[in-house]
Amino acid sequence: MTKRSVLGLYVEEDSAADALDNLRDAGFGEGEYEILTGTPYPEGTFGEAEPKHKLYRWPLVGAVCGFTGALIITAGTSLAYPLLTGGKPILSIPAMAIIMYEGSMLGAILLTIVGIIFESRLPRIFMGAYSEKITEGYIGVTVTTDESKTDAAEEALKKAGIDGDIIRGWKE
Amino acid sequence: MSTTNNIDKQDNYPFEAIEEYVDNENSLESRIEISKKSLSIHTATSKRFRQFAYLTGAMLILGIVGFFMKLFAGFDDKQAWGYYVAVFAFLMTTTSAAPMVAIAPRIANAHWRRPISRAAEIWTLAGCVNLILYIPLIWLLPSLENGRRSLWFYEQQEGVPAYAPHIWVTLAIIALVILGVALTWVSCLPDFALLRDHATGWRQRWGKTLSLGWLGTTAQWNWQYHRMGIIGAFYFMMLVFVHFFISVEFLMVHVPGWIDSLYPITHAHNALQGGVATVMLTMFFLRQFGGYKEHIGIEQFWALGKLLLALSLLWFWFWFCSFQLLWYGKKPTEVSVLELLVTGPYRELFISVFLLVFIIPWFTMIWNPIRRSIWGPTIIAVSVLIGTFLDRIRLYVGAWDVASFKSKLINPDTDMLGMELAEVPNNIVMPGMADIFLTVGFIGGSIFIYLLATRIIPAVNIWEKKEFLLYKAEIQFHRVKVIVLGKPR
Amino acid sequence: MQEHTQLTQKEINDGLLKDILTLPKWWLPAVLFLAAVIVTGLSAFFFMVYHGVGVTGLNRPVFWGFFIANFVFWIGISHAGIMISAILRLTQAEWRRPITRAAEVMTVFSLMAALHTPLFHVGRPWRVAYWIFPYDFDRNIWPNIKSPFVWDPSAVGTYLIASSLFVFVCLLPDIAILRDRVTSPLIKKIYGFMCLGFRGTPRQWKLQILAGILLSAIVLPVFVSVHSIVSWDFAVLVAVEGWHSTIFAPYFIIGAIHSGVSAVAMLMALIVWIYGLQKFIKPDHFDAIARLLIIVATTWFFFFFLEWVWALYNLESPEIALRELQAFEWPYAPLFAIFVIASFFIPVPLWLFKRCRRSPMIMFLTTLLVNIGMWLERFLIIIPGLVRRGHMTFDWGTYHPSLIEILIVVETFAFVAFGMLLFAKVLPLIPLFDVKEGMVLRRLMKVGRKTIPASMREGLPHHYYEKDH
Repeated sequence: MTKRSVLGLYVEEDSAADALDNLRDAGFGEGEYEILTGTPYPEGTFGEAEPKHKLYRWPLVGAVCGFTGALIITAGTSLAYPLLTGGKPILSIPAMAIIMYEGSMLGAILLTIVGIIFESRLPRIFMGAYSEKITEGYIGVTVTTDESKTDAAEEALKKAGIDGDIIRGWKE
Repeated sequence: MSTTNNIDKQDNYPFEAIEEYVDNENSLESRIEISKKSLSIHTATSKRFRQFAYLTGAMLILGIVGFFMKLFAGFDDKQAWGYYVAVFAFLMTTTSAAPMVAIAPRIANAHWRRPISRAAEIWTLAGCVNLILYIPLIWLLPSLENGRRSLWFYEQQEGVPAYAPHIWVTLAIIALVILGVALTWVSCLPDFALLRDHATGWRQRWGKTLSLGWLGTTAQWNWQYHRMGIIGAFYFMMLVFVHFFISVEFLMVHVPGWIDSLYPITHAHNALQGGVATVMLTMFFLRQFGGYKEHIGIEQFWALGKLLLALSLLWFWFWFCSFQLLWYGKKPTEVSVLELLVTGPYRELFISVFLLVFIIPWFTMIWNPIRRSIWGPTIIAVSVLIGTFLDRIRLYVGAWDVASFKSKLINPDTDMLGMELAEVPNNIVMPGMADIFLTVGFIGGSIFIYLLATRIIPAVNIWEKKEFLLYKAEIQFHRVKVIVLGKPR
Repeated sequence: MQEHTQLTQKEINDGLLKDILTLPKWWLPAVLFLAAVIVTGLSAFFFMVYHGVGVTGLNRPVFWGFFIANFVFWIGISHAGIMISAILRLTQAEWRRPITRAAEVMTVFSLMAALHTPLFHVGRPWRVAYWIFPYDFDRNIWPNIKSPFVWDPSAVGTYLIASSLFVFVCLLPDIAILRDRVTSPLIKKIYGFMCLGFRGTPRQWKLQILAGILLSAIVLPVFVSVHSIVSWDFAVLVAVEGWHSTIFAPYFIIGAIHSGVSAVAMLMALIVWIYGLQKFIKPDHFDAIARLLIIVATTWFFFFFLEWVWALYNLESPEIALRELQAFEWPYAPLFAIFVIASFFIPVPLWLFKRCRRSPMIMFLTTLLVNIGMWLERFLIIIPGLVRRGHMTFDWGTYHPSLIEILIVVETFAFVAFGMLLFAKVLPLIPLFDVKEGMVLRRLMKVGRKTIPASMREGLPHHYYEKDH
């Protein structure tokens, strides 16, 4: 079945929250509708479910990878070219520790960035129904669902009191 | 690029920039409730409290015995005083720095400090124990005319008295104690007035004397606010100076070749870490045994847990900065110092310290679920305190061992200024009976003083909790409940 | 903040995007002027490449001169961004909102400026590639990881990548706003591509906020390590007097914070004057940053005192001779006096007065003085130590910076300004969503007759209160 998206714009936060209630009552699942806002609101403002994420695993994995990589580079290069400098041992832990530390942090940061983008479900190629008014302060409620259910979705959105008309994400 | 688009063309932009008002939780009823609840907990003396008091009181007696044993043994054998100085330094590192948990968040207007600021401040009274412990050290410390290493540049400058370090360190410690007591007293004035007005018996009498006629006028509140700020700032500066003096005069100058410009700062940082750990443990005991479960909550443990995490990482950084430089330079004098303190007889102690003060706190507290709990930060605080104590032993016992060493040399005059540690001791100095008595006694004694103080001084800051009512609201924001926090100044 | 202008999202968009969506008259001349300075600097560099490093003032014994002082200075400035952004985010200070991005962007460009100075300094920068990356596999010669010069690129590189990615991730919502505001289809597509399709779902906002906190927490240790490692370029050396001091790492860091936060204050004043953003950056912001600077400056001064006192502790005559050279002998004595007065004794007493703290002009001038003083500080750490006369008389020499060095140093300043202006033309310097969030969370409370500002805070999740731990 083809997926279609529709969007309703609201001026009041409570209207948008009512729209979510209407959609839940109409049988739409959590993955089918979303709130779009131009600024972050406190979690739960619209009665939406707490977004679950596993972001904290990414820096940990990144740090381990970075640490291992840096350990291999530092130990490997020291043993491959054993240069005695200043009477220090070939495998000098303080010196290696510095680069291993930087490697861990770099790994953690790189994977954290990837994690943030991934957990944000970005990049999003299919924009669907969207309005530029959202970044002006309007609150959008968008429903992405099967073609057969778009009428029910539009009904639920209109019942909460949208501003203007329903915005459809496809060309008629 | 053009600015003209659909949004700009719309005439009826429906939003307005409005600032909404919220009502705070302040009311006569809520203030009375806090006073009543806090007073009822404060005036109750539980069986558990008595048990702790008897135990720590017995420990204090043991400490006094050890103290006199040490005094009678004399000051000639420097090595024998290593543990004494270590205990003194440990108490300065923990109890004297605990008030920083009250001072710093107060300056930053962090509301989470309110239930625990008094618990932190009361530790300043244990500073009196530190002062008593310090007095024999005035005799122990060699004067400058013996030609010892110092930062006073005695022979290079005119007019420097031979007892300059003794004078200045004594003045600094006395000033720290006075500032600490003053800070606690000024902070307690409104609560003493509460005791005067609502308590009975001896508490009512003591409240009347100590409250100094506090009425709660606007002028008095403003005066108190500014005094707490100034005394707090001076307390912090004096704390840094005291740690500077202790780490230099009682530690570094006794080890020839130990030239570590960072160490005074490291010592002050260790104090901050020790202070936070001390307050963490105090909070736990007040919650579990003191009846303050409703007052001291997870917010406080979480906030201090974050601080402890950062301070543990900083511990490593400060240590590594010093270690790395001495290791890298490979100067013979510096290699000897590293051998004394890290790789030689105190190696096992050092490894324990490293684990307890850095590895365990860092790798556990990095997990939010552990930070956001009651037991997690508490256990880590215990680890930090034990580690800090072992660290003081490692440094001070080692340094005074070397100090005694040098004083046995053939030409003490020329060698006392030297920067070369000719011989690193082979073994750790083991504690004697007096040392054990002292350690147990004065740590227990500080806790005993604290317990006694909490009988008159409410362990939770009642007026600050009432003040919080002015700046706190819990409101319904559409479909979610949120807390609104005001900014006083 | 006690002063505040509550604005709608549209007003914020209009106010902060006007200089991106239209071309201010002054922009092009300014950019062309800076480009000319950069081209002059690069020409000086190419002249140096062609004729050799001898055209600079560098020679035995002073092998490190203006270039290295400049390198350390820009690393110092780069610490501002993360300091302001990370620490204020973690402490939830509301006043950080308008200034975090400008500070972070300044970090990125300062790091680039810092990185290209040692590349110019080495004289044949293409050879540096073999030293760091790619490694010279064929001859089996690997970098010496025991050298601070190998620690440096790992640290500065990590910091540059981290800061750049931090800026990028936090820019996503603002790029989305630009995507919605521009009319040219091509530019719209470019912004749309850059923002990766950001729409503003609760998940995306939650991760934005988490990104700010988590990245701040990860980058803060990196920030501490970068300048420590740069300081160890000097401190691990035993041979040069005045360098082998354990306090160098924290001393350099606190100095970096001092000069960096001062640079942010300068930037705030420039943003207010050049872009006319008085509605967003208020005297309260200047007041807050000045108070921070008092604490930072005083701490820095204490470290400076400690460094000096401990240098004299071992009573070695070469060390004492260096300190005499640094503080009392020509030509370093007047520079030393200027450095101490400009870094501390003029700015800090002025900052104790509320009127001075709240004035953008006074803040700009005092922080400019601080940065002049801090540049001189780096110069005075490096050059006198190298100039001091050792046992070998053939090694005695002095240092005079040549025009080539001066032009290249000036080029780095122009580079940072140029980068910031280009950035500000394409992307907003003040984070829109952060400012908008501040407006949404803002409330007022009445305490008696007084109205105080307040802010909504999300409490801990409810199960923490329900469970009895």
